[in-house]
Amino acid sequence: MIKLEHIEVTFGSFKALKDINIDIHEGEFFTFLGPSGCGKTTTLRTITGFISPSAGTVSVRGKDITHTPIEKRNIGMVFQSYALFPTMTVYENIAFGLQVQKMDKEEIRKKVVEMGKKVDLNEEQLKKKVSELSGGQQQRVAIARALVTNPEIICLDEPLSNLDAKLRVQLRNELKDLQKRFGITTVYVTHDQEEALTLSDRIAVFNKGVIEQIGRPDEIYSHSATEFVCNFIGDINRLTPEFLAGTGADKVEGVDPKKHCYIRLERMHVNETMATDTLKTEAVVEDYEFYGLYIKYTVRAFGQTIKVIEKNSGKTLYKKGDTVTLSYNPADIMQYEG
Amino acid sequence: MKEKKKFSFTPEKLWGIAIFVFFAWFIFAFLVFPNLNTVVSVFYQNGHFTTEVFTKLIHSTKAMRSLRNSLILAPTLSITVGFIGISLVLITEYFDIKGANILRLGYMTTLIYGGIILVSGYKFIYGKTGILTTLFAKIIPSFPIDWFEGYWAVLFVMTFACTSNHMIFLRNAMRSVDFQTVEAAQNMGASQFRILTKVVLPVLTPSLMAVTILTFITGLSATSAPLLVGGQDFQTITPMILTFANNVSSRPLAALLALFLGVATIILLTIMIQIEKRGHYMSVSKVKTTIVKQKIRNPILNVLAHVYAYLLFLIYVIPVALVVLFSFTDSATIASKHLTLSSFTLDNYISIFQKASSYKPFVVSIAYSAIAASFVAIIVLVACRILQKRKDRLGGALEYGLLIPWLLPTTLMALGLITTYNTPRVWMFNKVLTGTSVIMLIGYIIIKIPFTLRMTKAAFFSLDDSLEDAARNMGAKPFYTFMRVQLPIILPTVLAIFALNFNGLLGDYDMSVFMYHPLNKPLGVYIKSLTDSETNADNAALTFVYAVLMMIISAVVMYLVYGRGNKVDKSKD
Repeated sequence: MIKLEHIEVTFGSFKALKDINIDIHEGEFFTFLGPSGCGKTTTLRTITGFISPSAGTVSVRGKDITHTPIEKRNIGMVFQSYALFPTMTVYENIAFGLQVQKMDKEEIRKKVVEMGKKVDLNEEQLKKKVSELSGGQQQRVAIARALVTNPEIICLDEPLSNLDAKLRVQLRNELKDLQKRFGITTVYVTHDQEEALTLSDRIAVFNKGVIEQIGRPDEIYSHSATEFVCNFIGDINRLTPEFLAGTGADKVEGVDPKKHCYIRLERMHVNETMATDTLKTEAVVEDYEFYGLYIKYTVRAFGQTIKVIEKNSGKTLYKKGDTVTLSYNPADIMQYEG
Repeated sequence: MKEKKKFSFTPEKLWGIAIFVFFAWFIFAFLVFPNLNTVVSVFYQNGHFTTEVFTKLIHSTKAMRSLRNSLILAPTLSITVGFIGISLVLITEYFDIKGANILRLGYMTTLIYGGIILVSGYKFIYGKTGILTTLFAKIIPSFPIDWFEGYWAVLFVMTFACTSNHMIFLRNAMRSVDFQTVEAAQNMGASQFRILTKVVLPVLTPSLMAVTILTFITGLSATSAPLLVGGQDFQTITPMILTFANNVSSRPLAALLALFLGVATIILLTIMIQIEKRGHYMSVSKVKTTIVKQKIRNPILNVLAHVYAYLLFLIYVIPVALVVLFSFTDSATIASKHLTLSSFTLDNYISIFQKASSYKPFVVSIAYSAIAASFVAIIVLVACRILQKRKDRLGGALEYGLLIPWLLPTTLMALGLITTYNTPRVWMFNKVLTGTSVIMLIGYIIIKIPFTLRMTKAAFFSLDDSLEDAARNMGAKPFYTFMRVQLPIILPTVLAIFALNFNGLLGDYDMSVFMYHPLNKPLGVYIKSLTDSETNADNAALTFVYAVLMMIISAVVMYLVYGRGNKVDKSKD
C-alpha cells in the first residue's frame, strides 16, 4: 500500500537516509525501530510530507505522492508530544481537521461524538480542556483527532516515549486494540524494542540511515540478519573462540568460530538440559539477579562470562561459587562475518 | 530530484513581500537613519568633516559640568543602590526579620511608584516647602530650606528609586540559592558572616553585576531627578541635552552629548551581555531545598538589623503614604501641611474628572500609551512569526534591527527622530514629523519594541513545533494555524507585555519631553510643569491625584501580570 523506493534525504552535507526501500501492506501495523538518530522519524516525516526526499519516490496505492502537499496526502499523524492544542477543548481538538475542511457544523458534531465513542471518550469528556485529561485519555484524543478525517494511513511518532513504564504498557495494549478495531494501515516509530516486538506485524530496523532488516518480530529476534540487529534486539552473549572450542561447538557443522558468534540468554540453560541441548559444560556461578518471574545468572566457563535467563520454577537458587551444568543447542548460535 | 517550480505571485507571497518592505522601511526610517543622522550632524557640518562641536563642547562650562556630574552620579549611584538593594534582598529573603512580608510590600512600592511621580513625592517631603523641611525649619530657624537640592538630593532620590531591579532579579537569584549549601557550610562550622560572604553572596554575583550595570546606565542618563531636585549646580547629561536640543544652533552639542551616552550604554551593555553569557551559578544539588530564614544570632546585631529594615521601610513608604493622604485634602492643607479631620475632601478627585485641562493629559497619555502598546504588540507578533520561520541572515538582520533601541539611550533616539524629521524626507512621503502629534507615538513604539521582542520571542520559541505540524497535517494554512493554534497559546504573554508597556508609557517623561505636541501634553510632561511651581497648592493636589491614579493603574497591571499568573501557577502545583 505504501511504497518507499530508493528514498534519500540529506540535511546539508549529512545524508540522513540512504536508499530506503519499504513496502507496507494494507491494514498492517508496521514499525520503524532503531536507536536515536538512525533515520526512523525522518522516514516517517517523509511519508507524511514534512520532509521532501532529495531522491526516490513515495507512493500510496500506486499513486506517487512524493511532492503532494501534506494536507492532500490523507495521512493522519499522532505526534510524540501528542501536539494537542492546549487552548482548545477535547471536542475542538478533534473537530479541528473537519473545520479546516469547512464541513457543516452539525456534520462535524456528529462525526466528533461518533469518533469520541469509538475511542471511549464520552460527551462530558469532550467538553473538557485537554490538560484536564489523563495521559491515556490524551493519547486517545490524539488518535481520534488523527482518525476523524478518515485518513488512509495513520503515522505515530513515538507516542509512548514520554510516559512512565506502567502507563506505557497499558497504552500499548489500548493502541493495538484500537488499530485492530479500525483496521487502518499504521506506521509506528519507536526506539523501544519491546514495544516494537509486541505491537507490530512487521518491523524495519534502522541504523545510520539504512534499513538493516525488515521482518516479523520473531524473525527479527531469532534470525537477526545483521550483527547490529542481533545486538540491538534483546540481550545477547557473544561467544569467544575459547568457549566455542571448550564446549565443542567449533566441531559442529555450520559453526565457524572465526565469525562473530552470538546466542540469546534464554537459549542457554543452567542445570536443566533441554532435549535439543547437545552441548554441555561445567560453569561456576558468579552472580545472580532475582526478577520474580525469572532469574538472571552470570556464570563463568572457559574464561568467559555468560549470562543465562532461567524461568523461576521455584527451585533452589544457585549461589555464587556453585558449580552448575551449562547446556545449549549449537543451532541457536547466530553468526556474522567480522 | 526536486522539480524546479515556476515563480508566481500567490497572495501569500505578495503578503510576504509587503511585510518585508514594511520592516525594511521601519528599521531604516526609525531605527537606523535617525541615529546615523545624529552621528553625521556631529561630524559633518555644511558638507565638511569637522571637530568643531568637540571644541565647542570642551569650551562649554555647562556641558562639561553636566558630563562631570553624570560621571560622578553613575558610579556613586551604583554603589548606593547596590548597598540598599542587597540590604532589601537580605532583609526580605535571607535573614529572619519580623514583619518581612510588610517590609517587602513597602520596598516594592517603587514598582508602582516611579519616575517623575516618585521624584515629585520626595520633593513634597524634602523640598523647600516640604513637610520635613517645614518641620525642621520650625525647630531650627536657621535651617536652610534648600537643603534638599543638588548632588546629594539626586543621589538620595535615585538610590531609593532604582532598587526595583534588585527587588525583581536579585530576589529571584536569592530564592534560587540551594539551602543545602548553607547547611553544608553550617555543618562544617562556618560562621553566619562567613556563610553569607563565601556561600550565599557569590551565587548572587552574576545577577548583582547585571543590575549594577543597569543602575550605572540609569545614573548616566538620569533625567527627572536632576531636573527636579538637582538645582542649578547639579544638572546631568540628559537635562543638558534637553536644554541644547531646544535651540537649533546648539543641537549638534546635544547630539554629541547623546552620542556620548549612546557609546557608554553600548559598552556597558556589551559587558553585561558577556556577564550573562558567562552564566549563572547552577545548583548541582539533586534535591534542591528553599532558603530557610536565618535568625541573626548576635542580639545587638539583630536589633540593629530590625531598626535598619524599618528605617528603610519608612523611607520607601512615607512619600507614597503622604501622597495618597494629601491627595484627599484641600489646597490649604497641602500648603500648610497641617492635617485636621476637616481637611479631608474628595474635591481633588472630582475636579480632575470635571476640568478638561486636568483630565486631558491623562486622556492623552492613555490614548498614546494604548495605541503605541497595540502597535508594538502587532509589529512584534509579525516579526516573531518571521523569526520563527527564518533562521537565516534576513531573520538575523530583522532581529538585530529591531533590538537597536535596546542598545541606545532614549535621549539619543528621541533626538535622532526630532532632528531627522524636521525636514521632509522622501521615505516619509515628504512629510515633516517634528512638531506633529505622530512623532511621539513613533517614539513610544520604538522604545518598547526590544523588550516586547525579547519576551514575545521567548514565548513563541517555547511553543511545541509539533502543534504547527499537527495543524498542517490536518490541512490548516499558515495564517489559520497562527490565528487558531499559536496565537491563543501565547496570547496571555502578549497581553501581559501589552499591559507592562502601557503602564511604562503612561507616565513617560524621558521620551515625551523631546517630542510632545504642545496641544497634547502627556501626563509626565504635565506633572513636571506642575511640580516646577512648588508653591502652588492646587498644582500639588493635582499631582497627587495623578500619582494615586497611576499607582492604582500600575498596581492593577502588576496584579494582572504577576499576581494572577503566580496564583494560576501555584494552583497547578
